[in-house]
Amino acid sequence: MKALVSTVGRRLASLVLLLVVLTTLLFFLLRVTADQALVLAGPEASAEQVAAIRAQYGLDRPLLTQYVSYLGDLLRLDFGTSIISGQPAIAEVRARIWATVALAIAGMMTTIAISIPLGAWLGARPHTGGRRTLAAFVFLLQGTPGFVVALLLVQLFAVQLKWLPFMGYGSFATWILPTLTLASFLAPKLTRVVAANVNSALAEDHIRTARANGAAFTEIYWRHALPNALLGATALIGTQFAFLLSGSVITEMIFGWPGIGTLLIRSIQSADFAVVQAVTIAIAIMVFVVNALTDASFRLLDPRLRRAGS
Amino acid sequence: MNAPETLTIDAEPRRRLVASRWSPGGWPMGLRLGAALALLLLGASLLLPLLLGVDPMVTDLGRRLAAPGQQGFILGSDQLGRDILARILAGLNWSLAVAAVSTALAALIGVVLGLLAADRPGLLRTVINQLVDMVLSFPGLVIAIVVIAVLGHGFWPLVLTLGVLSWPVFARVVYAEARSVLAEDYVLAARLLGTSRLRVLLGHVLPGLTPSLMVMLAFHFADMMIAESALSFLGVGAPLGTASLGNMLSESRQYLFVAPYMMLLPAAAIVLAVVAANLIGDGLAAAGRRGRTYAHDGSDKA
Repeated sequence: MKALVSTVGRRLASLVLLLVVLTTLLFFLLRVTADQALVLAGPEASAEQVAAIRAQYGLDRPLLTQYVSYLGDLLRLDFGTSIISGQPAIAEVRARIWATVALAIAGMMTTIAISIPLGAWLGARPHTGGRRTLAAFVFLLQGTPGFVVALLLVQLFAVQLKWLPFMGYGSFATWILPTLTLASFLAPKLTRVVAANVNSALAEDHIRTARANGAAFTEIYWRHALPNALLGATALIGTQFAFLLSGSVITEMIFGWPGIGTLLIRSIQSADFAVVQAVTIAIAIMVFVVNALTDASFRLLDPRLRRAGS
Repeated sequence: MNAPETLTIDAEPRRRLVASRWSPGGWPMGLRLGAALALLLLGASLLLPLLLGVDPMVTDLGRRLAAPGQQGFILGSDQLGRDILARILAGLNWSLAVAAVSTALAALIGVVLGLLAADRPGLLRTVINQLVDMVLSFPGLVIAIVVIAVLGHGFWPLVLTLGVLSWPVFARVVYAEARSVLAEDYVLAARLLGTSRLRVLLGHVLPGLTPSLMVMLAFHFADMMIAESALSFLGVGAPLGTASLGNMLSESRQYLFVAPYMMLLPAAAIVLAVVAANLIGDGLAAAGRRGRTYAHDGSDKA
């Protein structure tokens, strides 16, 4: 129990440190890229109008003063106001985060549903004809960037066959292509890892002993090899999910998905710094939590780690 | 971007193992295939443009959107009448160069910081490990936009973005492996004999990491190819209008109906290059495993 408290405490401390550094970097880096007052005033504004806007938004204060007041606002969970919509930045993020999270969950579920059975099947006897061909196909797919897959899917299902909509967010049909895109990007890797793990688990000494003692292949496979192999895959699943949560920007952009990925791109383009900062902080927290949960579940699932303590 | 896990597909007989793993004859099938494909792509991107003599930037609006084989274009022309074959070769050249240099940069930073963290417990290790976690959770797109805003579009901004974002991948593996090497008896012996820390790291630890570094370099190169094309696709990579595979794919989006080849051909080029790098990485990993298997006389429990 004491160990648990100290682990959680250490984790929280490093999360706080991460957020402090991240917000500081973001604050100064973003202000290098564009002048918000100019963006707000528009291209035809006179110098006086720009100066008035600077004063109105407090942009005429020294950068350090702005930074301190920004940090103070953050502590009160005030992420600032979007200069585009006039809404609080956190509301903009809240309105879109579920589209990203839901798509990430759909993509991850599809990936798991494809990869684990396929990898387990491929890994059991990797050298037979049909499985070799399929393994080669998985390898080819692993070399294909996600947005290329997205473009190919759009070309096939939306342009040629006209079965599914190009883009959009709503009915079930609009979910299919983005989900497939994410799965096609992640599934090859997971499949190959599961297959390699199953294969090396089957080569272990205790499996050979069990075989020598007369245990049936199916029993060894289901009871000994597969659970061990899946344990190893847990870490990758966690990493992949964290990756999906960080806003699959390109997938969201191609399919016009109203998630935080598109929000990030749009606010960067329009120098809407409050929103960029809020999105980045939200992503960092989500990624951090998923990674911590993956670590924890790893300890929970693996009896060897549990016994070792700490 | 994780530690490379590979699917063993080599069921070759044991006598193969006797052949040296550094001579092509002893290479696994996949490694030979990958090396051949890589040489082919590299050769084509360097030599074919000279043979063709077509400028990838020259526009010809009278002959726009020609299908492959039509109007004198071997692989067709794009929306401005530019030669797609010439653009793919130039784009391949650009992507390979960006991927190679950014991989080298990431490896350099990652190896130096990974070794330092492994060698110096205490504050330095903590700082480096925190930095690794931090960079991994930084949104790459924001970095890319910032770098481009400061330095402008171009080769070095892109290389810098990719290198600075991806070195933790190397640092993590180097750190973990270097720590286990540093715990070996021969390192202790070297230290007791008075070898300096730097010489221990460079002379005893680094050589031990070479096999996994080579595998990581190959896989990282593949990742950088994909990342480069993705950033260019989003318009924050290669300068707009440059012949780059990502730019070509981005431009092809408006012509999906009339000219699907504008998308399919550069896509195929990216896939081939990435597959070549992955084959080499897989092959190197398999060769490393096999070398170990041979050395330990069949018991690979390292």
